Amino acid sequence: MILTVTLNPTLDKFYWVDHLPLSLERVEEEILIRARKSVSSAGGKGINVSVFLACMGVETVAMGFLAGHTGQIILRDLLERGVTANFVWIEGENRTNITILEKGKEYHPVKIHEEGPRIPTHAQELFLKKYRRMLKRAEYVVLAGAIPPGIPETIYKDLAREAKAAGVKVVVHAGRRPLWEAVKTGPFFVKPDVREELVVGDMPVRTEEEIVAAGKKAVEYGCQACLISHHITGDILITPEGIWEYEAEIPLTKFKNLVGADDALVGGVLYRLTKGDDLLEAVKFGMAAALASAEVEPKLCLAPAVIEHEMRTVEVRRKEDR
Amino acid sequence: MKARELMRRDLTSVEPDTLIHEAIYLMEQAGLSTLPVVDEEGKLVGIITEHDLIHAALPEYFEMLHSISFLPNLNQIQKRLKEMAFKPVSDYMKEVLSVHLDDEDLHIADFLIRKRLKQIPVVDDEGHLVGVIRRIDILSRLVR
Repeated sequence: MILTVTLNPTLDKFYWVDHLPLSLERVEEEILIRARKSVSSAGGKGINVSVFLACMGVETVAMGFLAGHTGQIILRDLLERGVTANFVWIEGENRTNITILEKGKEYHPVKIHEEGPRIPTHAQELFLKKYRRMLKRAEYVVLAGAIPPGIPETIYKDLAREAKAAGVKVVVHAGRRPLWEAVKTGPFFVKPDVREELVVGDMPVRTEEEIVAAGKKAVEYGCQACLISHHITGDILITPEGIWEYEAEIPLTKFKNLVGADDALVGGVLYRLTKGDDLLEAVKFGMAAALASAEVEPKLCLAPAVIEHEMRTVEVRRKEDR
Repeated sequence: MKARELMRRDLTSVEPDTLIHEAIYLMEQAGLSTLPVVDEEGKLVGIITEHDLIHAALPEYFEMLHSISFLPNLNQIQKRLKEMAFKPVSDYMKEVLSVHLDDEDLHIADFLIRKRLKQIPVVDDEGHLVGVIRRIDILSRLVR
């Protein structure tokens, strides 16, 4: 079973518009934008990984905090997609994250992310109890996404330590300090989220050399694999055995929705690892899952045949031996 | 159809030492009228229902009169509920009532009717809670 932790779940709301007039140069009473289409779905990095895995037939349990009417919608969506849900309920309302995709510029979305509800101390204690219980039945745990108000930034480090002590492989898919604190525990697989800032820990990751240096630092801490995005269609994998570059030649205009692509990548890697693939092949499948997801309007591509086909576009080159 | 195909994979639950006011809070927030009770291993050890809590809060002579219409107001029930609020769920929970992942829909429906339950927990071979089946899950399947 693969356990995913999403401390700040969201209802992802997507709007597709023909034109997005963002300029305020003209004096107008209001700007009305008519959506050609809109879709909502349960979201948050860990939840997206669980949805991907459940659709691939892998047993997965999603954990975190749910609140209010939005929490009910998130739960319903998860249950309908075959994800086992084990959440702590709190007062308030889960966040809604909005993405606006303009026709022809889908690779450059406009996003509005809410902060999410504050998590009270007693709810955090309840969550830890449930987490420890679920670790006893898990093979992997995925610690993913933003930290909500009220929870310390060291939470992933603490959760990673508990998982390692229980013999569970840890995957960290987050950004900034929460990620780097967890890296210091030597997790199995790390996928830094560098969307907001091209930094891993306190190291910039703008160039190939900087990415490799940051990945090597993670490996020094005991990580078995660190996968860092170089650009939209290229990732670099740093492991104790060597460094590999994954690249796909796909024009940006082919992308329809980039939200969730990274999560499909992590889900794809885990799916293939549970099937017995080696890490290099699993990452190739993960990258194909990310590309296939970016090329469709729904957040995730959940068709194994399409992902398999996409694997042909991914080239893998060994960059360096260790 | 088997329980594994019918069930909601929702593990919302309480533990035997969860306090009654916390269980009521969870029922309200999660919109559930029944909560499975699990131990530290995640194994089912009982269930607690709204019905159990209401009955525990009613005056003892309710069993004879089968009505609360003679009460001047709900103060007596409120007083009793406040006394119960900081007691553990284990004081009020029912015995383990569950079905197995491979039980058939007819058996499950019969169980829900006989035990007058709105939902029933589903367990695996080791007794771990793996989901719940509500009456409405069976009804909605049958009308499709």
